[in-house]
Amino acid sequence: MILTAILADGFFAVVAAIGFGAISDPPMRVFPYIALLAAVGHALRFCLMTYLGVDITTACFFASLVIGFGSLWIGAFTYCPMTVFSIPALLPMVPGMYAYKTVFALTMFLQNLKNPAVGEHYMQEMFLNGVVASSAIFTLAVGATVPMFLFSRKAFSLTRRKK
Amino acid sequence: MKTNDELKEIAQFIAEYATRLLGSGVHTSRVVRNSKRIGQALGVEIRMTTSQKTIVLTVYESESNEVYTEVIDLPAYPISFELNADLSSLSWEAVDNGLTLAEIREKYARIVSKPKIDPIFVLFLVGFANASFCRLFGGDWTAVGIVFSATVLGFFTRQQMQKRGINHFIVFVVSAFVASLYASVSLIFDSTADIAIGTSVLFLIPGVPLINGVIDVVEGHILIGISRLVHSFLLVICIAVGLSFTLLMVKNSLL
Repeated sequence: MILTAILADGFFAVVAAIGFGAISDPPMRVFPYIALLAAVGHALRFCLMTYLGVDITTACFFASLVIGFGSLWIGAFTYCPMTVFSIPALLPMVPGMYAYKTVFALTMFLQNLKNPAVGEHYMQEMFLNGVVASSAIFTLAVGATVPMFLFSRKAFSLTRRKK
Repeated sequence: MKTNDELKEIAQFIAEYATRLLGSGVHTSRVVRNSKRIGQALGVEIRMTTSQKTIVLTVYESESNEVYTEVIDLPAYPISFELNADLSSLSWEAVDNGLTLAEIREKYARIVSKPKIDPIFVLFLVGFANASFCRLFGGDWTAVGIVFSATVLGFFTRQQMQKRGINHFIVFVVSAFVASLYASVSLIFDSTADIAIGTSVLFLIPGVPLINGVIDVVEGHILIGISRLVHSFLLVICIAVGLSFTLLMVKNSLL
């Protein structure tokens, strides 16, 4: 049961990554690797959050770190810069529901200006969801970039065919 | 030893190359590195500074002590990771195989004219992607189906409006509104309507400039990084505006 849940999570992450990746016109040959990275990253975050009770921002950091190292490794034999893999693979991890709830709370807050008690509740909702969404997105970007700083020499010459 | 005309030709090519890279969604430090590498292959030194709208670059040859400077406007290009990969490879090829300017130009023209992925194929891929996004957030299968069609409709709106060259803030507001309004159909059925409405607009999130902005800031290209972030925040606000039009219409059924 746990295994099917993890596999299902990875599968939907793969479909999401390939679809959103296609908007950015990546080379055809990298789609299988984007799928692999997205599945591993998202399933890892799912496991951390569901079975170990880690919060979403920390889980995002570790998952994006794995995606970053994975894209450094894959880039070396496909001659592509890291961001070609890491950005599409990160997209399924964007905390969409938190972002949506922020907007919803903002709308409801503005509708309840004359009703301070209700307004306060929505203000709190908006702040909470907004902080979670923006910190998760920021850690996603930073986690995927850390490998680029650690191994900058390797990361900068990924597209070189003659090593 | 190069004449000023030769330097001018090199500068014009590098200008085209760098603007194309920057427009295709490449973070700044890679653009600067690649351009300098091509300069190195041609025996000149490139010094450049970038901003959101223009690039200033100088070509310098130490032998003749000649300098040529060029200021270029950045046109809006569609994001393309394929160009990112292939043009970066080109810069290494130029330096490793000692290509001449004419050879580099020819290869550049071939790379840039490669066909893009078919837009209709992308449309359906994005639909499936957003539908599985809905599933990841815990939506039921009715919501997944509705999000699929909402996304196809919203993305189609975006493609058509972009083709006509409409201001992209307006494009984002309208597409977000269309997609979320269609997704609110899920209120009629007994399904997870808030998840359907929330995920229906997520295909619009400008992921590439957001992540590139963070990379630029962290790597010290703070000005252009902040401009990319501000620009993508504006787009996110546009999505929120489009979404909140829908929410205002259906909020009573969502509470």
